[in-house]
Amino acid sequence: MSTVDSERTGLRGRAGEVYGWIDERAGTTELLHKGLYEAVPRKGGWAYTLGSATLVLILLQLFTGIFLLLEYVPSFQQAWISLDFLQHSDRFGAAVRGMHLWGAYTLILIIGLHMMRTFLSASYKRPRELNWVSGALLFFLVLGLAVTGAMLPMDNAGYWTLVVVTNIPHYIPFIGTGIRTLWRGGDFVGPIALTRTFAIHIWVLPFLMFALIGGHLALLRRHGEFGAWVNYSTSSDDPEREITGRIRAAEPPYPTKRIERRYAAPRETVNFFPFQLGKDVMVSIVLVAVIFVMAFLFGAPLDERADPSTLTYTPTPEWFYLPLDQLLVFIPTTWLIGFGIFVLMGAAATLFTILPFIDRSTHRRPLERPEVLLPGLFFAAMIVMLAVLGITRLYNL
Amino acid sequence: MIRALADLHLVPVPGDLVTNGLAVAVVALLHVQVAAYLQGAAALSTISQGIALMRPDPRHERFAHGLVTSMAYVFGFGAALAIFWVIWILTVLWGHAWVDLSIVTFWPLVFEAGAFLSEIVLLYAIYAGWDRLSAYPRARFGMLVLLTVAMWLQMDFIDVVASYMLTPNHGDTNQLAQVLNPTSLPLQLHRTVGNIAWAGAAIAFYAGFSYLRATRRQRRRREPELAGARSVGAMAATEFAGTPPSDAAARRGYLDWVGQWGVLWAVMMSLFQIWIGYSYAKEIQLHTYSAWFRMMRGILSNVFLAQIFLLGLIFVLGSLYFWQRMRASGVSRLWVQRLCFVGLVLATLLAVQPAWFAVDEADVIAAHLDRPWWDGGLLNPIGDFIPWKVFALIALMVLGLTSATSYVRAYSEGRVRIGETTRRLQVVLLALGMTVSVMMMVMGVIRENGRQPYLIHGELTIQHQQVVTGPGP
Repeated sequence: MSTVDSERTGLRGRAGEVYGWIDERAGTTELLHKGLYEAVPRKGGWAYTLGSATLVLILLQLFTGIFLLLEYVPSFQQAWISLDFLQHSDRFGAAVRGMHLWGAYTLILIIGLHMMRTFLSASYKRPRELNWVSGALLFFLVLGLAVTGAMLPMDNAGYWTLVVVTNIPHYIPFIGTGIRTLWRGGDFVGPIALTRTFAIHIWVLPFLMFALIGGHLALLRRHGEFGAWVNYSTSSDDPEREITGRIRAAEPPYPTKRIERRYAAPRETVNFFPFQLGKDVMVSIVLVAVIFVMAFLFGAPLDERADPSTLTYTPTPEWFYLPLDQLLVFIPTTWLIGFGIFVLMGAAATLFTILPFIDRSTHRRPLERPEVLLPGLFFAAMIVMLAVLGITRLYNL
Repeated sequence: MIRALADLHLVPVPGDLVTNGLAVAVVALLHVQVAAYLQGAAALSTISQGIALMRPDPRHERFAHGLVTSMAYVFGFGAALAIFWVIWILTVLWGHAWVDLSIVTFWPLVFEAGAFLSEIVLLYAIYAGWDRLSAYPRARFGMLVLLTVAMWLQMDFIDVVASYMLTPNHGDTNQLAQVLNPTSLPLQLHRTVGNIAWAGAAIAFYAGFSYLRATRRQRRRREPELAGARSVGAMAATEFAGTPPSDAAARRGYLDWVGQWGVLWAVMMSLFQIWIGYSYAKEIQLHTYSAWFRMMRGILSNVFLAQIFLLGLIFVLGSLYFWQRMRASGVSRLWVQRLCFVGLVLATLLAVQPAWFAVDEADVIAAHLDRPWWDGGLLNPIGDFIPWKVFALIALMVLGLTSATSYVRAYSEGRVRIGETTRRLQVVLLALGMTVSVMMMVMGVIRENGRQPYLIHGELTIQHQQVVTGPGP
């Protein structure tokens, strides 16, 4: 190993030689430098930990999911038995399943907060529109993973979730019944419905999700973190000159073209490592610890084995689908359910996804863009209230 | 003494209009208006104090102080009224129900009383120490937060009792069953946002009234003097005499700002009511069908239409205010506001169309349509509702939100200039305040009469109450 390599990597002896060999071919040190010493805005770092926490939680789902796959049998007859075995006879089975469940709950909460933070700080504005679009699609994929995961245990809750959810597409005019049949593999829920849902849960959605995560991270690296508007204030008598100085001093990848100059480069930056990474690690550790404790204390419920002939079981949605469930209560007649689900919810989801293309103003401070903030907060409050109303209905069914 | 007590003669409470009807209604409705204002005003004063901490806007500081002062005045009357309510209505007229409720909902009532005492301590400490606490604005903000929480908790606990009276879970006395009875959370959400809306409307009313009074006084003071002046120069001298115009203008500007701030809260919070109220009614339908039938298809259905009309009127008046207020500031291109106003009028008219039903409650019960399917009936939880009314309600929400957003946008861009209002706009503020007040009364009448003849639905009627008429024979 050359002296130069030794200085670059800080490793000596045999280990240094091995690392130097790899580094020469893979450019590891350069990659690490690029990744760790990126300049990030100084203020608002704690709010920015939600993105990395989301990634950590997705990876936790991946790992715990792999462990569950070692014992779960995706068969109509065997699914519940395999989970019952895992729950009661496997030493760590219940804990791993609990972590998968509580990890999913925490992930939905954190990804929601992450999007709320992005919304409030207007980080989705040019040139970061595609970051928002990919993030919104990731959010929908996570919800899809959560609901398909809830169908797999083949206990009463899972079976009836499968029945209800696979029935929803048939409200689409003309093609709805065909989609339902395609998913179920027939008119009724049977073995094929479970196999297809399993495939969607472990292959289709994760594939799309990891592709989007790759794109999301690449875009983040390309445009840098925006932080919050507080990082872009000016303090001198000549703000234009101050901004020009900042742009000149800024390291790539901060964009200097096709963006409002003020928001091209933040006033103060710190290195991603150790300042931001330290915060990221701390938040992620706390979240994983909370999931771990919840998994041990409460675990994941496994209902009685599915009984398709039961007349007494009342299916109830998971908490994150309570707002949608409660929304259905507002919809009076069957023919309007299609309108509610596909027109109202479709319009809301589309508006949510294309938000950066609707909010074209140059303003970033929340109080300077009430035309977006007011409806956004109204609908966020509406979602929370619908969930609260849904709790009442669940308890009193 | 014991002998005399034993000789007391108990008879059922007379169910006439004056004692068990009108008098109860007057006290109850007054109590609701005062209590709701206090809770909403506490939230708004906390928000304004929080804003004053974040940015140097003296109007928010002044507004928070004004609200605390008004709360201190109103609280005294409200507390006396509440005590009168408990002693006269609950103990004397509805003694049996009160004893039953005190047993069943003992802990919620204890916590409610605790929250009430906390409010007294906090409110008067903030009121009396406002100036001294100026040196510690964060402490003052913290105390206001505590006051709001105490107010909210008190409402929360009393809502548990009130909702239990309407949907008592088949008399289930389990604590969780009481707290999560079917209409408990809907009622709490309904009142949380409704109280803030009411406080906003009351503040707008006050601002409008004060503005009219201030400008009327100025007119009266100046008119004779102006008439008596013999030259233009003398008239100008008279005009600038007395109160310096800058002070008067500042006062008018502040009242204008308070008025629009109140309208915004009244309209924005009422937007939530559309679907929270719907959800509340749905839970009544699923769990206390006879009360729901009385309200929606029975004797109270026309009163309910009046209620929906008043809800629509809140948005119509709000939209009219936003539109004309922008116009008064010379804002151009007001087609969005015009469109919202017309749309809101049409949606309100659509929502109040009566629907005629040939069925009566007995027919519905015979067809097993009075219970949801999980209770063995045939009632669809999604239920039947007149589709055009759903579209009307959606239109009210979307157009109301658009109108408010359009106004706030113009305000944030500096296109709405504070102080440039008109006397006519103040009349809209007065009308809005009156509308919300009347709406609360109508709502109270519907809720209390919907439960009739029960005090605790399905468990206890008014005729079960007893009063002491004096020593027996």
